[in-house]
Amino acid sequence: MTTSSRILWGMTLAMSGAGALMLAVFLGPRHDLPVMPRPATDKDVLRVAHVQPVWPDPHRWGFPLPTQNQFVLCLWEPLIECDPETGQPQPAAAEGWRWSDDRRALTIALRRDGRWSNGEPVTARDFVRAWRRLLLQDGGQAAVLFPVENAEKFHREKGADGGSLGLEVVDDFTLRIKLGAVRSTFVAELADPLLSPLHESTEKVLKEERYRREPATLVTNGAFCLERAKAGSFRLKTNVHYHGRSTVRLAGVEYICADNFRMARLLVAAGRADLMAPIPAGSPTAVPTRRCLTEESEMAMVITAMDLNVTRGPLRDPRVRRALALAMDRAGSIRKDDADRLVPAYAWVPDMPGRPRLSLLKENADEARRLLAEAGYPGGRNFPVLIMPMSARDANYGYWQAWTERWFRELGIRTYLAFQTEEERKRGMKTGDYDVYPSGLIATVPDAGDMLGVFAFPETFSGTRWINPEMKRLLAEANNTTGLERLQRLEQIERQAMEAVPTIPMMFERRRTLLSVEVEGWYADPLGRQALKRLALRPLENGEPARPNAL
Amino acid sequence: MKLAQICRHGFRDWRCWAALWLLLSLGLFGWLWWDARSWLLGSPEASFRYTALNEWPVWVLWWFLAPLILWVHGRLTLLDRHWPWALALHCLMAFLITGGFILVIAIRLLLANHLPWAFLPVILRDLRSVGKWDYLPLMIYCMAIFALYAVSYYRQWRAGQLLTGELRVANAKLETRLVRASLDALKMQLHPHFLFNTLNSITSLIRNNRTREAEDVVAGLGELLRRALEHRQEAMDTLEHELEFLRRYFEIESIRFQDRLQVEYDIAPDCLPAQVPCLMLQPLVENAMKHGISREPSARLLRISARRERERLVLSVYNDGPALPRDELLGSSGIGVQNTRTRLHMLYGDAARFELRDHPPHGVLARLTFPFATLTSHDHDHRPHPHPDR
Repeated sequence: MTTSSRILWGMTLAMSGAGALMLAVFLGPRHDLPVMPRPATDKDVLRVAHVQPVWPDPHRWGFPLPTQNQFVLCLWEPLIECDPETGQPQPAAAEGWRWSDDRRALTIALRRDGRWSNGEPVTARDFVRAWRRLLLQDGGQAAVLFPVENAEKFHREKGADGGSLGLEVVDDFTLRIKLGAVRSTFVAELADPLLSPLHESTEKVLKEERYRREPATLVTNGAFCLERAKAGSFRLKTNVHYHGRSTVRLAGVEYICADNFRMARLLVAAGRADLMAPIPAGSPTAVPTRRCLTEESEMAMVITAMDLNVTRGPLRDPRVRRALALAMDRAGSIRKDDADRLVPAYAWVPDMPGRPRLSLLKENADEARRLLAEAGYPGGRNFPVLIMPMSARDANYGYWQAWTERWFRELGIRTYLAFQTEEERKRGMKTGDYDVYPSGLIATVPDAGDMLGVFAFPETFSGTRWINPEMKRLLAEANNTTGLERLQRLEQIERQAMEAVPTIPMMFERRRTLLSVEVEGWYADPLGRQALKRLALRPLENGEPARPNAL
Repeated sequence: MKLAQICRHGFRDWRCWAALWLLLSLGLFGWLWWDARSWLLGSPEASFRYTALNEWPVWVLWWFLAPLILWVHGRLTLLDRHWPWALALHCLMAFLITGGFILVIAIRLLLANHLPWAFLPVILRDLRSVGKWDYLPLMIYCMAIFALYAVSYYRQWRAGQLLTGELRVANAKLETRLVRASLDALKMQLHPHFLFNTLNSITSLIRNNRTREAEDVVAGLGELLRRALEHRQEAMDTLEHELEFLRRYFEIESIRFQDRLQVEYDIAPDCLPAQVPCLMLQPLVENAMKHGISREPSARLLRISARRERERLVLSVYNDGPALPRDELLGSSGIGVQNTRTRLHMLYGDAARFELRDHPPHGVLARLTFPFATLTSHDHDHRPHPHPDR
C-alpha cells in the first residue's frame, strides 16, 4: 500500500466514522423521550420556565409582561386583586374601600393582619413610599398613577411639591387617595403589580442587589418570599407571615430561565418545568416526551393597529380612512404559524370578562373602492404614496407589508415602508411627518375604558392626531357611571371612533400557556396577571400517564 | 541581529507555530476551565448559562480547528492523482465542521437549559425548524481550503520560477562557454592568416639572403606565437598587452618594409588598462599594411590611437595609403574585417561599432568603438560578458 492510499483510506475511514456518529446524533430519537422525575425537593413547587427576564422590582418595567406580573404578584400583594371569574376588583392587601360623595376621593382600609415577610405589619406608609418611588421613575410606568391628584406634576417635577400629591396616610391602616378627575375604574387599576407596597428597606436592597447574596433581605408581603436568586433564575418559598397562608397550596415557585421559547417548551416537556408562556409560533403540536400537557389560552388586552395621520392629505377624509379599513382581509392575512395567536380585530376592544368584542368594521373591498371613488380617488388615481415609518427590527414587518400590499391590490394605493431609527420615528411622531404609523396598545386595566381612552386623550396616547371633544365628554360620562350603563357609554365611544376610523384595528392577540396537567387552578386573565398563589400541584396517579400526548 | 535571525528562522519553522498554538490553547483552556470551574465541579449554585463556555462566541472553535484543517489540507495535497477523493474528503470535512458547529450550539442550549442529553436530537430539529442551522462554517471552510490551495500553488509556481531562473543561469554559462569556444575558433582562423604572411616575409628574406634578419623574424614570430598561445584561453586582454603584441608584430613587419614604415602611437594613458578583445587590432593593422602601405610607395604612416569617450573606448588604425577599393567599402569582405565584426558582435552585441572608411584627403581609417571596461583583481566579474544573443 502506498503512502497516498494509506492517507486516503485512513482519512476516509476516520471522517466517515465521525460523520456516521454525527448523523446518529442528528437523526436520534425525537419521540417518547423519558420524562425527568420531579425531585423530592420540588414537591409542591411550581416551576415556571420563562424567557423574558424577571426582576424582583415591581417598578422596573413600564408594561410588565405576564411572567413579570405573575412573579411580582407572587412576592407582593397590591391593595386590590381581580376576581378570576368576573374580573371585578376584590380586596387583597386592602380590607375594603369607600368612595367620597363626589367620587374624587377613595379611602382604603388596609388589612390589620397584613404582614411583611419579616413579620412587621404592612401599613399605608409602605404604599405611599412605593408609589412615590414609582412616580420618580423615568419610564412610562408612572402613568398608572396619573389619575391621582397632582401625580403627573409630581412625576414631571421629579418630586417637587410632594405635599400636594393626592396621597394621604390617615393612619397606619388607612390610606386616602384623591383623584384629579372622576374615574370609576380606579379601584380596578389598583390591582396593577406596579402599585405594590415596598418595605422601607427594599429600595436599598434592590439598588444594591443584596437579595442575591441574602435573599431574606428582600422583604415582601405576598404569598411567597425569595428563597434563592441565581442570575436570571429565582426560587420562592411560602411567606409564613402571609395573611392567607392557609389558602396557599404551593410550597414554592421556581422561575427557570430558558434561552428561548422553544427551550422553555422543552423544559416543560422534559419535566423540568410545569408551566411556560407564551407558546412560540409554529411550535409542533406534539411534544417529544410522554408527559401529559395541556394548553390554555386567553384573549390578551392587546391590539395591533395602523394609526392614520388625519391631518395629512387624503387621510383627512373619513371616507378614505374607512376605505382603507374595509379593504383589508385580516383573517386571510394571518400566517399559519400565528393561527392560534392572532385574532382579526373588527373593533377596538377585544373579548374580556363580561364584555364580548364587537364587530364594527365589515370588510368589503367593493364598498372600500366605492368610498375611495366617492372621495375623489377612483382606483387610487392621484392618491399620494403613503409614508409608513418602520423599525428594521419590527417582528411584524411581514404583516405590515402584506396589509399595505392589500391596499395596493384592492384600492391602487401605494405605501412606502420607510425604515427609520428609533430617534427618527420619535421625531416623526412628534412633528406628524408620516401618514400611517404602526402602533399597538396594551391595556393595564381589565376594562374597555382603558383601551378606549386612547380616543379621549389622543395627545397622550395616539399617533392619529384625531381630536374629538365628544370622545372626552363621553368617557367622562362613562367614568361617572357603573355597570351596564357604563358599558353602553363605552360602546358608544367605540362605535363613534370606528365610524371615524382614525386608526385601523388589525389584530387582537391570544396568549397561550403550556401547562403540565399536574397544575391545578389555572385561570384566564386578559392582563396576564394570574396569581400563582391560587394554583396547586395535583400528583398524578401511577406517575406519568402512559398514553402519548398530543396537545 | 542575532535575535532578528532567530525570529526569521523561527517563523519559518512550523514547530514554533505549533508551540505558540499549544501555548495559547492551554491558556484558553485554562481560562475556560477556571471560569466554569464551579459548574464543572458540580456546584448546585453554578450554572453553565453564565460561563464563558456558553457566552463566548462559537467562532472560538476555529482556533482549535485550524491545525486540523491545515493537517488535512497538507495530507490531501499529497493525493495528486486521486484528486476526486481529496475533493470528496474536503466536502465531508466541510460538512463535519458545519455539523460540529451546529452540534456545539445545540449542546450549549442543552446544558444551559438543564435538559437531559436525550433531548439533543430534539434541539437539533428545533434549531433547524427556526432556521438556526448556521451554514457559514461550510463557506468559511471552503474559502479557507481554496486559499490554502492558492497559497500552495503560488509557492509551487515560485519554486518553478526559481528553478527556471537557475536553468537560465546555467544556460547562460553554457552559452558563454560556447561563445568562448567560437572565439577560440576565430582566433585559430587568425593565427594561420598571420603565420602565412609572416612566413612569406621570412621566405622573402631568405631569398634575398637576409638570413640574419630572417632569424630575427623567426625569433620574433616565436615570441608572438608564445604570447598568443598564452592568451588562447582568454577572450579579453588589456590594451597595453595588445599594443605590446603589436610592437612585436611591427618588429617583424619592419624587416619587410625597411625604413618605409612609420608607426605612431596616440594612446591616452587611462586607456592602457582597458579591456580589449584579444588580437582585435592585429588584423586591422595587417590589413592596413597589406591594402594601404604596401600598395603605394609613398605611403608610410600607420597611426594607432586609443581614447576614452565617456564610457566607451575608441580604437583606430589609420594608414596614409590609397583609398579603399569599392568592394572593401561596401562589403568589407576580407577575412580579417569579417572576423573583427563577428567577434565584436559576439562580445558586445549592438553596443559595439566598427567602421572602415576612407580618410580624406588620403588614407584609410579603421575605427572600433565598444564599452570601456577595466579588469582588476577585485572585480573579476566586471569583465565584459559575451552577448547573450550569441
